[in-house]
Amino acid sequence: MTASVVRPASGGLRMSTPPTGVVVVLLAVGAVRMSQLAGEFVTSYPRATLTSIVLFALLAVPFWLLVSELDFLEREPTALRVVAFAWGGLVATTVSIAGGTALENLVAKLGSPHLAADWGAAITGPTVEELAKTLGVVAIVLVARSQVNSVLDGVVYGAMVGLGFQIAEDVVFAVGAVALAGQGDQIQPVIATFLLRGFLSGIWSHTLFGALAGAGIGYLVVRRDTLRAALALLGAWAAHVLWNSPLLGDGLGNGVLALLGVILLKGLPPLLLVLLLVRRLHDREADYYAGRLATLGDPSLITPGELAALRSGARRASARRLAGARAKPAVRRLQRAQAQLAVELSRASATGIDHWSSVIRSERARLRRLNHPEAIAGPPSWRHTASTVLTTVVAIAVLWVALSALGGA
Amino acid sequence: MARITRGELRNLLGALGIVATLAGLAFGLPALDRSLPSQRAVSPDEPYQVGAGVSVVPPAGATVDVTETRPGDAEGTALFRLGPVRYAIAVRPFRGDLETAASRLRKRITNTAGYQVTGAQLAVSTAGGLSGLQGGYTAPGRGGRYAVFVAEGLTIEVTISGNDLDLGRTLPQIEASTRTLRHDGERE
Repeated sequence: MTASVVRPASGGLRMSTPPTGVVVVLLAVGAVRMSQLAGEFVTSYPRATLTSIVLFALLAVPFWLLVSELDFLEREPTALRVVAFAWGGLVATTVSIAGGTALENLVAKLGSPHLAADWGAAITGPTVEELAKTLGVVAIVLVARSQVNSVLDGVVYGAMVGLGFQIAEDVVFAVGAVALAGQGDQIQPVIATFLLRGFLSGIWSHTLFGALAGAGIGYLVVRRDTLRAALALLGAWAAHVLWNSPLLGDGLGNGVLALLGVILLKGLPPLLLVLLLVRRLHDREADYYAGRLATLGDPSLITPGELAALRSGARRASARRLAGARAKPAVRRLQRAQAQLAVELSRASATGIDHWSSVIRSERARLRRLNHPEAIAGPPSWRHTASTVLTTVVAIAVLWVALSALGGA
Repeated sequence: MARITRGELRNLLGALGIVATLAGLAFGLPALDRSLPSQRAVSPDEPYQVGAGVSVVPPAGATVDVTETRPGDAEGTALFRLGPVRYAIAVRPFRGDLETAASRLRKRITNTAGYQVTGAQLAVSTAGGLSGLQGGYTAPGRGGRYAVFVAEGLTIEVTISGNDLDLGRTLPQIEASTRTLRHDGERE
């Protein structure tokens, strides 16, 4: 394991003053502009606007939790995740509304209205939006360089920027659909937009593109790997181009399956790419931190079984399931404390090591009292596998119903 | 006096670089867009494809505004200008009857502050066999006409706006153009 995989932060969150001031001003400007836009929406369509804000805010919650958990071993500070999300929702959107319209007009003027109609969204969206979003990750690097110490950190911040952008854009599209429908302050267009953009497009939209772009900044900053950085940034742009492109616009025929097929063909490759990338980055980071914990040789802090569980998200979840309802919260806290201890070991922070060692011993004592002294992963469970399969089937059924409701059939 | 460190200077320059790039996107691109003309000459002798298989013969002397013209396979928009008068046509997928389409268009018009629909709606038809409804509206300092047609899963909305003097002068030409609206039955 090389130090280039992870560059441990030297301590807590310390923000660089001049860039922080610039970022705060940019966020304030973006907030004012987006508030003006929201004010116009609320004035014209109060019920539809509030419904769309509530629905998409709720949709953001599972995405937020998922993205936050990507880097379980060294979670990014909440303040920086909030800044990244706000950048996407306030700054990147404000800039993209003005820049995207202008660039599409330029495509129409320098090319033709046909070109702008067919390829405008594929050219302008990725070019303006990906740049505006990626600058959010760069801003995080400038504000708190020490907190971007692995490529996975870049993925998390990039995904958060993308998530903020996605939610704000979805609200704008939902209210736009209400206006276009010409039926007054109705919520049906909001629901249709929520199903289409939230569920069908949600998982392979801006959060995904942002994660790829964030990986690019991570490769550049942490590993100084310009080739991988360029490939990741190009990949984010290309995935967005593919998604917005008119390719397969006529679909694979009629019906729900054909529409689902087009969505999968366009969205699945980048989704798989990001999943594989995150898995690889997570494993490498886990190896690094597990190596630090292994040097302790103290089973009261971490046993070999717990070390094996801590290295993988699936095994961590398995260990929590094995603990049962009563011990599950304590296992979660134990795993969190062990991860924090690994980070403090990598920082060689005596205070941090003492604090988290104490937390672990406290949780260990609690687990002993609950007759579950060790937080190890359980054997593969057919119930869990069945539950996963059932959840997948239900998700596909929801997609099917959504597509049918939207006229895909 | 506190001295700025090399790292702080680098971060400050980086932050200014971010501001400059954002300004380029938010202000530079729109400025470049505004510096180029958006209107193109259009032939008054040939049908202009609005989108989704709908065409119209533009009025003589009209130009097409490429920034608001997007001909597509399933939908499309075209904006013609006769001097200061706007002549816009929008084609969109639609499931419903003519009354519903007209009602939606009127509602969108009156949702704009200061806009009011005036007078009764009249039946209108085109040489290509489309039947529709037309009416008028007013806005502060402006007047307007609208017409809406429904054809094979599409709604074709026409809105014309300008000040009363210019409208009075150009309306006969524009209404003649509207009567050339045609849906060829096949989407592009």
